[in-house]
Amino acid sequence: MDVSNILAAHAAKYQAVTVEKETPLDVDPGLLLVTDLNPIEEETYNENLEEHLQSLARDGVQALMASLFSLPTKTSPDGPLAILPPPVYQLPRAKPLPKPKPPTKWEKFAAAKGISHKTKEKKVWDEEKQDWVDRWGRHGKNKEVREQWIHEVPLNADADWDPRKAARDERKERVAKNEKKAQQNLARASRPQSERNEEIERTLATTRISTASMGKFDKKLDGEKKIRGVKRKFDPTEVPIATEKKNSLDLLAKMESDSKKMRREPRGEENPLNVRKAINRASGGRGGIALGRELSGGGGRGRGRGGRGRGGRR
Amino acid sequence: MRPLTEEESKAVFTKLANYIGKNLVHLIDRPDEPYCFRLHRDRVYYVSESSMRLGISVARPNLVSLGTCFGKFSKSGKFKLHITALDYVAQYAKYKIWIKPNGEMPFLYGNHVVKAHLGRITEDTPEHQGVVVFSMSDIPLGFGVTARSTVDTRKLDPTAIIVFHQADVGEYLRDEDTLF
Repeated sequence: MDVSNILAAHAAKYQAVTVEKETPLDVDPGLLLVTDLNPIEEETYNENLEEHLQSLARDGVQALMASLFSLPTKTSPDGPLAILPPPVYQLPRAKPLPKPKPPTKWEKFAAAKGISHKTKEKKVWDEEKQDWVDRWGRHGKNKEVREQWIHEVPLNADADWDPRKAARDERKERVAKNEKKAQQNLARASRPQSERNEEIERTLATTRISTASMGKFDKKLDGEKKIRGVKRKFDPTEVPIATEKKNSLDLLAKMESDSKKMRREPRGEENPLNVRKAINRASGGRGGIALGRELSGGGGRGRGRGGRGRGGRR
Repeated sequence: MRPLTEEESKAVFTKLANYIGKNLVHLIDRPDEPYCFRLHRDRVYYVSESSMRLGISVARPNLVSLGTCFGKFSKSGKFKLHITALDYVAQYAKYKIWIKPNGEMPFLYGNHVVKAHLGRITEDTPEHQGVVVFSMSDIPLGFGVTARSTVDTRKLDPTAIIVFHQADVGEYLRDEDTLF
């Protein structure tokens, strides 16, 4: 019995499971990604684009499926699941790189002087305890004075001088100062110096005229300048008359277009009915006056001038 | 004396356009001689180019007036049209109203125009439209603003105001010292 033609018919019906390409397809199962690096065949591309694309897509999906079925699986209540390997292809960033932080005043100074950053260890060696202790924090080295059992009192100290409180105040002061510097760094980073100077000058000008006498009887500091306002600027009296005419006509044209725009907008919202068009239609193109006359039964006076009312009423 | 700024021009043009509409172009673009608007001590003057050039040589405190005074700017920047502009406004007026001889005097004394004095009116005049007031012998007497549209005036009683007074030629006598 010859089954070769049956097999051939079967083979023609179903395409091969393995995909043969000149350059093998690049499959990344971790991202479910297939890349076809083969150059496009111009002949089939030009002949039937849709078919060409479909065959390309089919090959790609076939290769992906084949790679998925070769992966290790684990069983689950929904059936076997393939365990995807970690992705190989490097996806580009979705967002731009974060901008570097603007340098603080100290960082700028250090860079200018060539001072390199030294990392401080959190632990420091304590000679007395013969042990490593924290530099700061609970039982830190910076709170050593507080735990001392005997204190040296300066000669000029008050009677109620508390060495523990003095040490604490000094420490707190340093913290506050650092906080203030950090705030200044933030302010500096948010706006350039010139802008801040401008604002300061504006504020100063406002405060100078904000007294009861509008600054007239205030004490003058030496080197203080008179406040100058913005001077008005006008065109010269004698310009070529042609340019003046052109400017005026331009302004007129602009005003006209503006007023047209202004008129159009509210009408669209208020009244969906185009009144002008409706009147035109009802009066047969003779205008609202003619229509009114007709309805009130008024006679022949206006008959002769009917043409004038055409489209007259806006 | 200086040319108007853009905002000032806008104020002047909108006020004039209320009376003469698109004919305003004929004031700016004249075939006979170039004319221009000049501002001097808050007053707007409509001057021919030649007079303007002559006026340049007069010092500001010495210059009393030049050309035709069209009106003045109030302190708050609003423009008020003076009766002196009547010649040009009447020439190009879009909407006109003629009043009967018995209504001329009341109008020239600064009163509004009532319906009883109405002689003729331009057809299709809308409400709140600047109109020029003429006597029945076609002499311009002043200008005003309509209180009602032409269609609505029919139903009014004779004492109803139809045109609000804005300026009249009687001001040449009454406001002689401040007008120019």
